[in-house]
Amino acid sequence: MSEPDRYQRAVQRALRRRMSRRDLLRYTGRGVGAFGAGALLAACGVEGQDTAPRRSPGAASPSPSPLPPKAGVVNVANWPLYIDLEDGQSATLDKFKQATGIDINYKEDIGDNDEFFGTDLQQQIQAGQATEWDIIVMTDWMIDKLIQLGWLEPLHHDVLPNVTANLDAKFNDPWYDPGNGFSVPYAAGITGIGYNKKLTGRPITSIADLFDTEFAGQVGMFSEMRDTYNFALLLMGKDPTTATLADIEAATETLRQQRDDGIVRAYYGNDYTDQLAGGNLALTMAWSGDVNYLALDNPDLAFVVPDEGGNRWTDNLAIPLRAEHPTDAHAWIDFVYDVEVATGITEWVWYESPVAGVQQQIQEDAQEDPSLEPVAESDLVWPTPEILEKTHSYKRLSLEEEEAWHELFDPLIQG
Amino acid sequence: MSDIVAERRAALTRRSLAPYFLLLPGLTWLGVFYVWPTIQMFFISLQEGSLATGYHLTWHWQTYGDVFTKYDTQLLRSVTYGLIVTGACLLIGYPLAYFIAVRGGRWKNALLFMVILPFFVSYVIRTLSWKFVLADQGMFLGALKNAGLLPDDFRLLATPIAVLSGLTYSFLPFMALPLYASLEKLDRSLLEAAGDLYASRRKAFLKVTLPLSLPGVFAGSLLTFIPVVGDFINAQLLGSTNTTMIGNVIQRRMLVNNDYPEGAAISFILMLAILIGVLVYARLLGTEELTG
Repeated sequence: MSEPDRYQRAVQRALRRRMSRRDLLRYTGRGVGAFGAGALLAACGVEGQDTAPRRSPGAASPSPSPLPPKAGVVNVANWPLYIDLEDGQSATLDKFKQATGIDINYKEDIGDNDEFFGTDLQQQIQAGQATEWDIIVMTDWMIDKLIQLGWLEPLHHDVLPNVTANLDAKFNDPWYDPGNGFSVPYAAGITGIGYNKKLTGRPITSIADLFDTEFAGQVGMFSEMRDTYNFALLLMGKDPTTATLADIEAATETLRQQRDDGIVRAYYGNDYTDQLAGGNLALTMAWSGDVNYLALDNPDLAFVVPDEGGNRWTDNLAIPLRAEHPTDAHAWIDFVYDVEVATGITEWVWYESPVAGVQQQIQEDAQEDPSLEPVAESDLVWPTPEILEKTHSYKRLSLEEEEAWHELFDPLIQG
Repeated sequence: MSDIVAERRAALTRRSLAPYFLLLPGLTWLGVFYVWPTIQMFFISLQEGSLATGYHLTWHWQTYGDVFTKYDTQLLRSVTYGLIVTGACLLIGYPLAYFIAVRGGRWKNALLFMVILPFFVSYVIRTLSWKFVLADQGMFLGALKNAGLLPDDFRLLATPIAVLSGLTYSFLPFMALPLYASLEKLDRSLLEAAGDLYASRRKAFLKVTLPLSLPGVFAGSLLTFIPVVGDFINAQLLGSTNTTMIGNVIQRRMLVNNDYPEGAAISFILMLAILIGVLVYARLLGTEELTG
């Protein structure tokens, strides 16, 4: 494939990504249907069976129950464009079928952590049933929440030799799942600021720029509560991971001021990308990988991790409670931790892989295929220690805290 | 003799029951997919609890008062938007329907087809494409800005105007089609009669055409107002914080916060508000066809 073709494809992927991730999932059939189905299911007498004991954050992993024999099938839910799947074809999926003899039903069904939780996990698990899935991919804070609720199956690390051998030490023992008892990372990225050099007229370096009245009406913020609160807290000089409710109240005030001064254009989900690309936003909170793509198409776009700091997030593989094919699910997890497989996925996905050795492998591949150079060398895909130094994770929230934060955040974005 | 009587009686019974059998599929559908979920939603609205503890039916009527005070802004905004959009659709739709019905001639069907044409594309896609049309530097605003007719920082996206325009566009056919139906069957000889009695054209319109088209106005207004008040897609895609409608609140309560009781309670308040509004409207307009 010639070089321009490769870029073209990457841009098309980016376009599809921003269409598919939220807009389409949320507003077309699935979103609306799920709305109805969720309500209906909720109606069918899910009167809060406490099906699983709640675990307090940081509790030791329980010893997992023994694995059943292989079933020969596995159902995987992932985000769109998170694997080399194009026109229904995927080399990775084919290889898995060949290597293990397991039929894989791979669906790009996750458009939003909260929505997937509400439509695909909550009702089923609370009703004491299995969900549709053997593998889900959820962001770190949602993994934390699911562990607190006791809604994930513990992992059998003894059948995950690739994970033991290849999990990069950087990703070992994460804050949301100490000891990786219930999850292993799939890909990681950073929330920072994306901006259009032409529209801002100057380089953007700090969160304070998002609060500058000079850019009134051209600033995008996220409707994702944790990301936006983290930014407000960083601006105030607070460590987001230890924020108190009083800090959040102050942060809400700061954000309200920003909103009422007319600086914020709107609070966006994944749809911020087309507003940034279309020149409606001069600067906006942004996810590293997205801007990476958009910049291929429009060199005026840039991504920066602000001086005050950015947010570091990780998406993780996990097995929901009562999954029907846990043994096959483990086979999939171990498979994607093979260096060669992970390299194939990362060359397509352009987010940081937690599998050690992938970057070197891509650098080698780039010798032969120059179109891989951006992903082989990018600081955004492979953040340097200096960049990581500046990033923060999210605070671990108890369910009660999360509700209290939402009570403050929702009126802000839905005024 | 008696055989014939019995047979006729049986035939009569069959005939009088037939309409009810015809109703059966519709009623079953309505029962399973509307009445039953509505009853369930009602009970959910009276539950209390959280994700951690589960939700339990405690007949907690308090939720209704709580959400009413919490979301009164968005509720009022939705009703206001509903009224504005219905008014705008009427202003645009009436002349449109009138023209097609009265002057359409042999183009009538083609013109009607054009009114329905947008339905061939998904509602969401159409609303998304408004984002491109209204973009700050898009083909519309960009051109006006380049011509110096608009200040550079002028924008329509993420403002109430964009949301109201999007809603008006989306729901115009719901207004235009019933209006067309009632104008089309208007007996033109009545207008001639009015002319014979020295009514001016304006007077003939006000005294004859308008009153006779009121059923269309009524039906069109309902078909527009009700879905507009509950809409959340236009506000989500074209609006910002200050255009949040009650549908957006319900969506977020249900899907992001998993707070089903509050979401259900808001839905019922909305349903009740619309029902009362419609009844008052029916009484005021009092068209016989609809109120009997």
